[in-house]
Amino acid sequence: MQNTISQPKAGESYLLWFIKIVTGLLIIVILFIHFLVNHYLAPEGLLSHAEVVAYYRNYPIVPIMEGFFLVFVVSHSLIGTRSILLDLNLKKNIMRVVDALLVTVGLVATGYGIWLLFAVINWGA
Amino acid sequence: MENPTKKPNTRGILDWFDPRGRRVGGWGFILNRLTAIGLTVYLYLHLIMLGKLAQGPEAYDSFIAFAKQPLIMFGEMLVIIGGLYHGLNGVRIALNSFGVGVPAQKQLLYGVLGLTLVGSLIFGLRMFATH
Amino acid sequence: MSEEKWTVNFVVYRKKGEGAPHYQTFTLEVSPEEYVIDGVERIWAFHDRSLVFAHACHHSTCGACGMRVNGVEKLTCITRIRDVTSNGGTLRIEPLRNFPVISDLVVDMSRLYVGMDKVHAPAVHPLSMAPLEGEGIKPPREVPMDDGKEYLRLADCIECGLCISACPVAGTAEEYLGPAVLAAAQLQGLGRAPDLTAVVDCVDGVWRCHSAYECTAVCPSSVDPGWRIMDLRRQVLAQRIRRWFGGA
Repeated sequence: MQNTISQPKAGESYLLWFIKIVTGLLIIVILFIHFLVNHYLAPEGLLSHAEVVAYYRNYPIVPIMEGFFLVFVVSHSLIGTRSILLDLNLKKNIMRVVDALLVTVGLVATGYGIWLLFAVINWGA
Repeated sequence: MENPTKKPNTRGILDWFDPRGRRVGGWGFILNRLTAIGLTVYLYLHLIMLGKLAQGPEAYDSFIAFAKQPLIMFGEMLVIIGGLYHGLNGVRIALNSFGVGVPAQKQLLYGVLGLTLVGSLIFGLRMFATH
Repeated sequence: MSEEKWTVNFVVYRKKGEGAPHYQTFTLEVSPEEYVIDGVERIWAFHDRSLVFAHACHHSTCGACGMRVNGVEKLTCITRIRDVTSNGGTLRIEPLRNFPVISDLVVDMSRLYVGMDKVHAPAVHPLSMAPLEGEGIKPPREVPMDDGKEYLRLADCIECGLCISACPVAGTAEEYLGPAVLAAAQLQGLGRAPDLTAVVDCVDGVWRCHSAYECTAVCPSSVDPGWRIMDLRRQVLAQRIRRWFGGA
């Protein structure tokens, strides 16, 4: 019988796991502030378009924080998704396609989010 | 070996989620995985929805008005419950993984569930009071 | 032993060769103080000689009689019938999960043994390493000691495979080393056996564990693999982070 456990397989190590944990903790911290700013301070519970634009312009720290939040949450979700897919013991070449897809989703989502932040800040300018 | 392709005796993905025969830690894992999948789907839907911000006040404000209906608010409530559980359980797993509190993992999970319940009630009541 | 008699329906998983699995019911008169393996042996002795199951010691040392009893992994030689069913009740007896079924209740546990070899805890030691009489004990590696300088016994693990069967992801992650193997690595310690770091810090190692602790719940030998996997993670992280700062 072929010994399938003969060699340690690369593909997931302490580093990805560590990033997942660190981004997870940062998400908790920023989410707490995110809720306070975006909902608690808004009298109607949700912000109107004008309020969002005003917030972002008046408090530059808000869009910066939201940008970091986006990066952390996208990284955490994609590393987590990958971890679930690794549980399926997919073939090496399928996993390569999955990795490429996840990286693409990550880059597109981050690029889109940052574009959106600037679109809000520059609205009507 | 006669049959090298012999597959393990498993129901595959069903064994991730079937709570029968599982104990406290197993239920914790099932909830963690379900909330992980749910929150991931929500995250990308949320990002797409926020695209309305770039379309201007009419598009965004009418979407917010549309979102104030019971079904969507129920969905939001699920996101809050799922997010609270996933976040708090994440802290539990992180602590365990650094060698902290493993013998108390069950009690920690009860704590996670308790805090999720309290947090969800606070959010729910606030949501109910505001709308 | 009490004279109390129970009628219990043993619903037994049957599978031969490439045939489809099915369940066969045997109704037995048993004492509730008997163990599940006693019922299974009686089925073989008096009802169906073709029933295939594994057992040897009858006192939780050999680890051969692991089965799923009503959906939960049990070492059947120490599982009293009274504790898992009632008079007139049912006992659903199935083979362990996450290993290929050879026949009926017997599974191919190569996965566990190959993993044990990989972490230098082989099930069978070469004769040259055997503790022959008068020569003192020559374990394959330095035997680790706890803080009280007591020797820790890897022998606590009886390699019954219950932990791999109970693990929710070991079925899909077919090449995951699994709880018993990672526990064996943890016991040796990455400080003493640094070559094990690469074996456990990989896609089939400690990161496949998602902390369901089902392994610890079913372990009949108090090995506590769940805790050991978490401790192994801590060891991996400590070693890797030390390396960031130029440590060995």
